[in-house]
Amino acid sequence: MNPEAGEILVVGGGVSGMQASLELAETGHDVMLVERAPYLGGLVSQLDHQFPSNHCGMCRMLPMLHRDSGEQSCLRKGLRHDRIHIRLSTDVTAVEGEPGNFRVSLRKAASCVDPIQCIGCGACVKVCPVETPDDFNAGLSMRKAIFQAAPFNMLNSYRIDPAACTRCGACVSACPTGAIHLTDADRGAFRILVVDDEQIVRDSTAEWLIEEGFAVEKAASGLQALDLLGRSSYHLMLLDIKMPGMDGVEVLKKAKDIAPGITVIMMTAYATVETAIEAMKSGAVEYLIKPFDPEMLLSMADKHYQAFVEAADEKITAGAIVLTGGAALYDPSGDPRNTLEYGVLPQVVTSLEFERMLSPAGPCKGLLLRADGKPVSRIAWIQCVGSRDLQLGADYCSSICCMISIKEALLAREVSGENLRADIFFTDMRVCGKGFHRYKELAESAGHIRFIRGRVHSAIPEAVSGDLQIRYVSLSGIEKEESYDLIVLAIGQRPHPDMPRLAERYGFSLNASGFAESLPFSPSETHRAGIFMAGSFSGLKDIRESVIQASAAAVNASRTMSVLSKSFPQHLDTKDIPPFPDVSREPSRVLAAICSCDAALDVCMDAASVVQRLRQDPAVQDVLFFNHLCAGQDRESLIQEIRQRHPNRLLTASCASCADIFQEVAVAAGMDPRLSVTADIRMPVLCAMSSSKALDTAAKMQQCADLMNSAISEGLVRVKHADAVKPSETAVTARALVAGAGIAGMTAALAIADHGYPVDVVERSDRVGGNLNWIHHTLDGHDVQPYLEEIRQKVESHPRIQVYTRAQVMGVWGEAGHFYTTVAGPDNSVMQFEHGSVILATGGAEASTSLYGHGTNPAVLTQKELETALHSDALASRELSSVVMIQCVGSREAPRNYCSRVCCQTAVKQALALKSQYPDVRIYVLYRDMMLYGFSESAYTRARREGVVFIPYSLDQKPEVVPAETGACVRVFDPVSDRRLEIETDIVVLATGIVPAFTSDDGDIFGVERDPDRFFMEADAKWRPVDAMKTGVFGCGIVNAPLTISETVASAQAAAMRALRILTRTTLASSRITAVVRHSLCSRCQLCIAACPYQARVLDTEADQIRVNAAMCQGCGACASICPNSAAVVEGFSMPQLFEMIDIAVQ
Amino acid sequence: MAEFEPTIVAFVCNWCTYTAADLAGTSRLSYPKPVRLIRVMCTGMVDPQYILKALLEGADAVLVSGCHPGDCHYINGNFKARRRIRLLKEILSQFGFEPERLRLTWIGASDGIQFAEVMREMVSQVKAIGPCTASRLAA
Repeated sequence: MNPEAGEILVVGGGVSGMQASLELAETGHDVMLVERAPYLGGLVSQLDHQFPSNHCGMCRMLPMLHRDSGEQSCLRKGLRHDRIHIRLSTDVTAVEGEPGNFRVSLRKAASCVDPIQCIGCGACVKVCPVETPDDFNAGLSMRKAIFQAAPFNMLNSYRIDPAACTRCGACVSACPTGAIHLTDADRGAFRILVVDDEQIVRDSTAEWLIEEGFAVEKAASGLQALDLLGRSSYHLMLLDIKMPGMDGVEVLKKAKDIAPGITVIMMTAYATVETAIEAMKSGAVEYLIKPFDPEMLLSMADKHYQAFVEAADEKITAGAIVLTGGAALYDPSGDPRNTLEYGVLPQVVTSLEFERMLSPAGPCKGLLLRADGKPVSRIAWIQCVGSRDLQLGADYCSSICCMISIKEALLAREVSGENLRADIFFTDMRVCGKGFHRYKELAESAGHIRFIRGRVHSAIPEAVSGDLQIRYVSLSGIEKEESYDLIVLAIGQRPHPDMPRLAERYGFSLNASGFAESLPFSPSETHRAGIFMAGSFSGLKDIRESVIQASAAAVNASRTMSVLSKSFPQHLDTKDIPPFPDVSREPSRVLAAICSCDAALDVCMDAASVVQRLRQDPAVQDVLFFNHLCAGQDRESLIQEIRQRHPNRLLTASCASCADIFQEVAVAAGMDPRLSVTADIRMPVLCAMSSSKALDTAAKMQQCADLMNSAISEGLVRVKHADAVKPSETAVTARALVAGAGIAGMTAALAIADHGYPVDVVERSDRVGGNLNWIHHTLDGHDVQPYLEEIRQKVESHPRIQVYTRAQVMGVWGEAGHFYTTVAGPDNSVMQFEHGSVILATGGAEASTSLYGHGTNPAVLTQKELETALHSDALASRELSSVVMIQCVGSREAPRNYCSRVCCQTAVKQALALKSQYPDVRIYVLYRDMMLYGFSESAYTRARREGVVFIPYSLDQKPEVVPAETGACVRVFDPVSDRRLEIETDIVVLATGIVPAFTSDDGDIFGVERDPDRFFMEADAKWRPVDAMKTGVFGCGIVNAPLTISETVASAQAAAMRALRILTRTTLASSRITAVVRHSLCSRCQLCIAACPYQARVLDTEADQIRVNAAMCQGCGACASICPNSAAVVEGFSMPQLFEMIDIAVQ
Repeated sequence: MAEFEPTIVAFVCNWCTYTAADLAGTSRLSYPKPVRLIRVMCTGMVDPQYILKALLEGADAVLVSGCHPGDCHYINGNFKARRRIRLLKEILSQFGFEPERLRLTWIGASDGIQFAEVMREMVSQVKAIGPCTASRLAA
C-alpha cells in the first residue's frame, strides 16, 4: 500500500464503479467500493450480451499489467483486487467534510446467512414457503424469500429478502450447518430486556415490542435480570423501579457493572419520578411514566434502536468520492395512457425483460416461446418508450435504446433462427457512436432486420390466433397494421428515485430532468469539489461511454488527492519482495494445508482420503488440517509450521477468495509466493451440494469428496512443478508523450502533469487549441473561448508540461514503460526523448467536399464556414430570409460510412443561433436521422418550436442543389407531405462530418492500427476504448472517434488515467502466469512471435534469443501450443503439469 | 454387467466455459459427473498432444470449450484452437479414435445450460459408440 495515496470512495458497483475502482487501485490508491445490491456489475450483470460482438467481453476490463493484483477470472463471478475493499448490500448513510477528508458512514444490510457457514446446498430454498418476483430476472420468474442474488457470484451463498420473509424459521431448522440467523435482520438484532415484577406490565410491554420486530426477553425480578445480563448481551433494558427484593436503582448499578454499554430506561409510577431522575445519575438515559401507551414506548425504543444502528455503521474517511449510482429504467405501466397495454398483455415486454428472456440463465432458459407454447416467429421493437416524450416530461433521448434493440433483434434471430421476423419501429435510429452505423447496416443487410419509420399507437390482441396486432402511422400519415407474437418496448431512462436525497447528501446539483449535473466541459465533475461521477448517474450511457467517463472520474479523484497532499503516487512499487532462497535445484517438498472454512466443509470432507491421496505423491512432505486458515491463530500457526518444517512449496486448499492471504502467508514465512498455490475446494462443494437433485445425501457427500480430491490433486500438480523463474522486468521512464495540442492533448497532459510526471506535448501547427480555435459556443450555450484560454494558460504555465509547436513525432520505438521518441521540430531540428507512455491526440477536421456545388457556388457553405461567418462580418451585413442545411453530406455512406455524431447538434445549434439573429429567417434541415442523443434532444424540441423545419431524406432520394441568381434552389422529396419541394434559399449549409488527422504513416509511427473508417483502432470498442492494441499507447479525442467537446475531455482524461497506470510504477513486472522461453530448446523459428496476440515476443538478434516482454505477455499460451520444441512454456500450464493433470483426470 | 460410464476430459478456458461450468453446478443443472474439467487459460493453449494423451490414457471423449468467436479474452485464441482441432480431427482416425470422441464448443459464461447439455449429449454419444479402443486395449 502507498500510505500517501489515501482511500477513495466509489459508490456504485456497476461497470462504471468497477472501472473507476480498478483505475484508482492500479495507480496505488486504496479504494472502498460500496454497492447497494448484493452483487457487482449493475445493469450489465443482467445483460448477457453486448454489441458489437453480441457476446460478453467484460473480463477485458481487468488489469493487463500487474495481473496478479486481482483475480484472473470472469468478472460476473465477482471482482477481487488487493487494493479494492468491496462492501456489498451496503448504503452510504452520511457524508460530511471536504476534499481530502470526507467522513463517510456505511451501513450494511443484514443478509441473515453467514457466507462462511453456508455451503450452498439449497435445503433452505426447498422449505421456504414464500414466493416473490425475482428482480434479477426483471420479475419474470419467482424466487423464494431465501435466495441467491445473482447466478454467477463466486461465493454463491444465500441471503434473505427481509421484505418478503415471514420469519417462519423453516430455513433455520433445515440448514445443515446452522448458517441462518433470522434475528440478524433489522430490529431483530436489537435485544431488549424487560424487567418488571408485575406480569401484566411485563407481558404487554414485551408483546408490543415483539410485534415491532425487536428481540425481547423478560425478567420478573432484579436477580433474574442480572442473571440474564450475565449470560447474554442486550442493547436496551426497560427496568421497573419499584420491585420487591432488589429495587430498580440497585439493579441498574449492578447491571452497569456487568454490561457497561447497555442502555437503560427506567419505568416508574408517577409517585417515584424523583427516584427515576436520581437513577439517571447512575446511568439510566430516560424514564417512562407508567401507565404508558404503546406509541410512547415504541418511539423511545426506536430512537435507541436508530442510535444503535448508527453506532454500528462503518465509519471511513475518503479523500475523494466517485459516484456511479447509475439510473433507473422507465416503467411503462406507470404511463396513464399505456396504449400498448404493458403489464396487461403478456406479449408486451420491456427491453430489460427481453434480455432476461434471451439469457440461458434466465427465466425462459434462452428459448423464445409464446404463451401457447408455439415458438415466437415475429417480434416488433418499439423505440422511444418513455423517452422523447413531452407528455411524460421526458424531453431527452435515452441514447442507448436504439443499439440495444438492434442487438436484441440480432440475438433473437440467433436464438430463434433465420425465419424470425424482427422489425424495429423508430423515429430516428440514433446510431451515432463509433461503429454503430456499420453495425446497423449489417443488421439490415445480413441480419435481415427491418427498420420501419413510424409511430406505433396501439396494440390489440387477437383472440383466436393469440397474435398481437399493432397499429402505427407511417411517415406519410398512412395508418398501417402488422401482427406479431411479441412486442418489445425499448424503455428509456429515468433518474433514480433517490436522486434528490443523494443530491442533498453529497451536495451536487441536479439538471432539469433530475439527473446529476456536471460542470461544463467536464462530464465527470460535479459542482461539489472532491466529488466526481461516472456512468448513467448523469444520464444513460452505453458501456464504452461509461468506461471512458469512469476512467476520467478516476483521474480527477486521483488528481484531487495528488494536489491536496502535494505528494504524488510517484514510483509506486510492486510489493517489496525480499530475495527468497533458490530452491530450483531441490526436489519439491510440498506442505499441504487444508482449511475447513470454519468447519463448514467438515460435513463433506473425507480427511482420511485426502491425506491418503496426497501421501501417494512423494513430493508431499506434510498434510495439515486447519479450521480457519485465513485469519487469526490458524494463520499464525501455518507460518510457524512452514518455518519449522522447511517445505519449499506450499499448497493450500480453501475458498478461492482467500488465495491472496496465502500469498502473504508464504512471504511472511520466507517462501517465494510464486511457489504457493491455492486449490479452490469451496466451489466443488457448492456444485456438488446443489446440483444433483436425484442423489441422496450420502451420494452427494461422496461426490463432494471426489470433487474436492481432484481439486486438491490439481493444485498439487500446479505447485509441485511451480517454478520461481522471474522473467525480465521493464524499468519505467516516468515521462509521457502527448501528440497533438488540441483540447484532448492539453487535457490529457494536464491530468498527467498534475500527478507529478513531466509531459512533452508535440503539436504540428503553430498554435495550441485545435478545433476549439474556431468554435464559439456549444449547444448548451457555454462559451468555448474563455474555456480554451483557461486550459491554454494552465498548460503553458505548468512547470511539468513542455509544448513543442510546429513539431511532429517521427518515430516511437520500444515498449510499454520505455519508448524512444524522435520529434522533428521547426527548422529541421530533431529532438530525442524517452517516454513511459504515449498518448495520441492528433484530432481531426471537418471533411472537405465538392458535393452540392461546394467550392463553385458561393452560397454553399460548410458548417465550419457558417460558424466562422456567423462570428465575423461576412453574414452580419447580409439579409437572410432562408437557410437550408443538408446533413450527412458524404457521411454514413461509402467511402465514409460512419456517423460523425456532432453534425446534427451543430445544425440545431446554428439554426437556433440564426433564429435569434434573424427572427424571420426560414430554416430547413434536411436529414436522415437527427442524432440529438441525450439531453441535446431538448434543443431539437426547441428548434422545432421555433419553427425550424426538419425534412427527412433517404439515400435513394438525396436533395439537389441548383445554383440560382441569389443563393440557390434546393429540391427535395418530402415524405410527410408526399411531394417534391423546391426551396429558394440564400445559403446552403453542408454538414460534412469529421475526418481524423491520422494517416497510415502515423499508424506505423505509433504502432497503432486504423479502423475501417481510418480512426484510431482501440483494443476493445467497449472495455478498452482508449487503449491501442500496443501496450502503452493510448488514443483520445476525435482521432479515436467523433466526439463533442465534453466527450473529448472525458476521453482525454481517460487516456491520461490509462497512461498513469504505467507511469506510477517503477518497473513493469511479470505476473505469475506468464510465458517464458527455454532457450536451450528454442530453434528461433519465430512461430511464437507471429502467434502472440500482444506483440510481447521479439527476436533479440544480439543475444540470438527470443525475448518475452513479461509485462505485455498475458499468459494465453498461444506460443506454447505452437512451439514445435516445447521451448515456450506458460508458468502454471507447462507440459508436465498438463500431462499430470490428464493422468489424474483419467484415473 | 455394469453400464458403461464414459470418462470425459474437458479442457475449458478460464474465462467463459469455466464460468459456465460453475454456473451449471451452482444452478442445480444436473450433468453427468464423470466429466473431468481441466482449466486452461485459453483454448488456444491446448496442445493436440494433450488431447491425444487423454484419449490414449483412458478418456472416452475429449471436449475443448472456450469463448464465442470474437469474445476470446486473448483476442483470437479460440480461432487458433478451432484450426488446430479441425486438423486433429482429420488425423484422429489414424490413431484409432472415432472423430466423434473429440468436440470443440463455444460456451459463454452465462450458458450453464448449454454446458450441461453438451455434457449430456457427449455422454450419450460416447455410450453409443462404446468405450475408447485405446482404453480397451490397455484393459
